[in-house]
Amino acid sequence: MARVLIIAYGNPMRSDDGVAWRAAAALQGRFSSDEVEIVSIHQLTPELAETIHRCEAVIFVDAANNGPPGQISSAEIRPLQTQPRFSHQLSPDAIVALAHQLFGARTHAFSVTLTGACFDHGESLSPAVEAALPALVTRIEALVQQFLLLEAPPD
Amino acid sequence: MKQGSSIVIDPVTRIEGHSKITLHLNEDGRVEEARFHVTQFRGFEKLCEGRPFYEMPSLMARICGICPVSHLIASAKACDSLLAVKIPPTADKLRRIFGLAQVTQSHALSLFHLSSPDLLLGMDADPATSNIFGVAQKNPELALDGIRLRQFGQRIIERLGGKRIHPAWIVPGGVSEPLTEANRDAILSALPDALAIAERTLEWFKSTMERFREEISVFGNFPTLFMGIVKKDNGLTFYDGKIRIVDASGHVVADDLDPTKYSDYIGEKVEPWSYLKSSYYKPNGFPDGIYRVGPLARLNVADRCGTPRADQELAEFHELQRTAVLSSFHYHHARLIEILYCIERLEQLLNDPEILSKHVRAVARPNELEGVGAAEAPRGTLFHHYKIDEQGLIRWVNLIIATGQNNLAMNRSVLQVAKHYVHGNRLTPGMLNRVEAVIRCYDPCLSCSTHALGQMQLQIQLLSPTGEVLDEVSRS
Repeated sequence: MARVLIIAYGNPMRSDDGVAWRAAAALQGRFSSDEVEIVSIHQLTPELAETIHRCEAVIFVDAANNGPPGQISSAEIRPLQTQPRFSHQLSPDAIVALAHQLFGARTHAFSVTLTGACFDHGESLSPAVEAALPALVTRIEALVQQFLLLEAPPD
Repeated sequence: MKQGSSIVIDPVTRIEGHSKITLHLNEDGRVEEARFHVTQFRGFEKLCEGRPFYEMPSLMARICGICPVSHLIASAKACDSLLAVKIPPTADKLRRIFGLAQVTQSHALSLFHLSSPDLLLGMDADPATSNIFGVAQKNPELALDGIRLRQFGQRIIERLGGKRIHPAWIVPGGVSEPLTEANRDAILSALPDALAIAERTLEWFKSTMERFREEISVFGNFPTLFMGIVKKDNGLTFYDGKIRIVDASGHVVADDLDPTKYSDYIGEKVEPWSYLKSSYYKPNGFPDGIYRVGPLARLNVADRCGTPRADQELAEFHELQRTAVLSSFHYHHARLIEILYCIERLEQLLNDPEILSKHVRAVARPNELEGVGAAEAPRGTLFHHYKIDEQGLIRWVNLIIATGQNNLAMNRSVLQVAKHYVHGNRLTPGMLNRVEAVIRCYDPCLSCSTHALGQMQLQIQLLSPTGEVLDEVSRS
C-alpha cells in the first residue's frame, strides 16, 4: 500500500463537481506507486475506512460550494465526534472516524477543496474553476511532498 | 383526534433512493390506508431512443451505482438476442461470476449497512445512533464483516471490469477481456474469508430472530404469489433459466414460463401518486396479481441451491413455514443464504477448467429487430426489452425492475405495519422506524426502478380523512 492515498471525489458529469477527478488525472504519473495511490470516486462509502487505515496519510479532494469560485482551501481533518445519519454517502471526517473506530487507524487526514461556480449537468468546468485547476494540483502535490519528506514509520 | 388525518414519513431513510410514506387515518385515529410514494423520476427508457444498440449495456449500467452489473447483464442479454448469437461458454461463466460478485456486495450493503442497525440495536433505538457507527460501537466485528464482505464483492468486480462502479466489461456477444490466471487466483484466495463471514453472520442473524417475533408476524406477512428465474432443475440461479411462480401455499402456479415473453403474464399499472409503476401477474388481474420477487421469492420458488452449505440452509429456511415463507422480514434471512450460495458458486465457477479460455466474445451484426434480456438482480427479476431499426438504433425500450414488481407488496406491507404500530395522531420513533424497516426488507432501489437525481431521504405524513396534515416527520 502506498504511503499517501489521494481520494478525489465528486460527479464528473455535474460540471465543477468533477474538478477533483480532473486534478487526479493531472497528478497521475507524478509519484511512484509505492509513494502515492490515487482513486477517483463519486462518493465516500464505509469501505474506504479499511483502505485508509493502511496508509500513513490521506488527502480528500473535492469541490466546495461556499466561497468565491476558484478559491482553494485545505485543512487537517479530525475524526467526526457525532454520528452521521446516512451511511451511503459519508463526509471525510466520518470516514476517518470509522477508520479510527474499526481499524485503530492513525492516518493523518487532510482535505483540499476548490470552490465551484456551476454544478449543473455537464462535463466541462466553469472558467473560474478551469483557471484555478493548476493551482489546485500544485497545492495537492506540495502537501504530498511535504508528507513524503517525513520519515516513514517502521513496518 | 381531529376528523380526517394522515401521517407523512419523508424522506424514507436507509434505502436506495428518494421516497415518502403517507398514512391515512380514519375518524377513530386508526390507519386506514398507507402509500409508499416514490418521488424521483429518471426516464432512461426515453433518453436511450436513437442511440446505437451496442451502447446500451454501458448506458444501462448508469441506471444504478449499487447494481450496475445486473443492468449490464440484462442489457447484454437483450443485445445478444438482437445479434442472434450464442455467446462462448467461458463468457457465459464469466458473466455469472460478475453477477454473483455483484449480488454479494449488494446484499452486504443492504444487510450490514442499512438493516443491521435495526437488527442489532433494535427497532426502538435512537435514530441518531441507528447507523453503521452505532453498529461499530456495539458489535465491531459485525461492522468489520460488513465492510470486508462488501469489499470482497467489489474487488471481484474491479478485477474483472476494471472499476467497481459502472464497469463496461460485459458487452453484446460476451465479455471484452478474458480472466487472467492472477485474477482468478486472487479471487480464489479471498473466498475462505468471505465464506467465514457469511457463515458467521447467518448464525448471528438466526440467533436474533427470536427477538423479532412480533415484527415477523406483521412485516409483510400476507399471502402473495412469488416469482423468480430458476434453472431447468428448479435450482437457484441469477443468470439464466425459466420463470417459475408459486402461490402462498407453496404450490406451483406457473412453470417453464419464457422470460422473453414476460408481457404475456406481467402487467404494469401506473398510479397518480408515485413514479414507481406496480407490476402484477396478469392472469389474476390488478391488484389480485400481487407478487413478490427478490431473495424471499427466489428461495420460495427454488427447490435447491446446488451448493452444499446453501442447500443445508435452504432446507432449514423452508422449515420456517409449511407453506411458502410469507413474512417479508425473512428477506434478510434469504439474503444471507444467497450470499452463502454466491460464494460457494464462485468457487465452482473459478475452478472450471475452461474459465481462463481466451474465447470470450461472439461478434455479429444485428440479426433481429427486437430482443429481451432477463436476469435475477439482487432485488429480483430484471427485464430489458429493446426494439431497434435497420441501422441498429434504439427505437423503443421497456425496463421492468425488481422494485416495481415488489411495489404492491411494499405498499401492503407498510399498511400492515402501520395498522399494527401506529395509533392516534402522533408518531413515535419506534413506529416510524418500523414503517421504514419493512421497506428496507425489500431493499428497494428507487434509482433503478424509476429509471433520479435522487437523494436518500424519507418523509412520513399523518393525514386526517379530510387531508389535513396532523403530524410529519422528515429525515434529510
